Amino acid sequence: MLEDELNVSTRQRDGVAIIDLIGDVTTFAEEKINEAYRQVTSEGARHVLLNFRQNDYINSAGIAILIGIVTEVNRHNQKLAFSGLSQHFQKIFRMVGLAQYADIYQDEDEALQGLMPTAT
Amino acid sequence: MNNDVTRAEQSEKIIELRLPSKLGYERVAMDAASTLANKMGFHRDRVDALKTAIAEAVTNAIEHGNQHNETMKVVVLLTVREGELIISVTDQSDQSIPPEVLARIPKIDEKFTEDDKGGWGIWLIRELMDEVEFKTAPTGGNQIRMVIHLEQ
Repeated sequence: MLEDELNVSTRQRDGVAIIDLIGDVTTFAEEKINEAYRQVTSEGARHVLLNFRQNDYINSAGIAILIGIVTEVNRHNQKLAFSGLSQHFQKIFRMVGLAQYADIYQDEDEALQGLMPTAT
Repeated sequence: MNNDVTRAEQSEKIIELRLPSKLGYERVAMDAASTLANKMGFHRDRVDALKTAIAEAVTNAIEHGNQHNETMKVVVLLTVREGELIISVTDQSDQSIPPEVLARIPKIDEKFTEDDKGGWGIWLIRELMDEVEFKTAPTGGNQIRMVIHLEQ
């Protein structure tokens, strides 16, 4: 009943593979997030943006999933960024250390400017 | 008469939740705690911290304490006091949590090479709450008691 569904979808914008995450990021999210990441990676993504929508529930199981993504991103020499996190989860991501491995931007537009994949 | 009034006022300030040991039900505890904390005048960032801490405590009780056995309950007590909110979360496990688990400080760079990338819950609770105490409940079971102060 309360196994909240997470909506995950992927799209491309300015050379960045964007994974939109709408809903709760908990243990139930694992398959969907990993699948979306595998998909954009198999399509050759170099820059990956995990775009949150001010999600109000990301727990330690969700954080573990994201650490798994960072592990893969490092292995594939990709660049990862986060956007759309609430102030609270920006703080949590800094505490955990995720912010050392992926830049945190306020929103999608700021992230695309910061990642600048099209600049040569 | 006066006694009855006092007793009624006191009981109003203790809220008890008995949750099934099924992931997702921690949401009920989060929402109850945030409703109370908002009412008490906690700032937004403190309410968010409380929601994360209570979610981690209840999730631990469901997963590790009660081993996802849905017939076992997780009991959450929310006690409103002057200037503080006290939250206790109790499971029905007969296995106590090892002290090294309670004291663990996870490191992200170590997690990259480990299969289990979790284990952040207890550490997060300690970081986010003003007082945190682990003990065995009088009725048995693991109990975590957390306090969040209004002034901070």
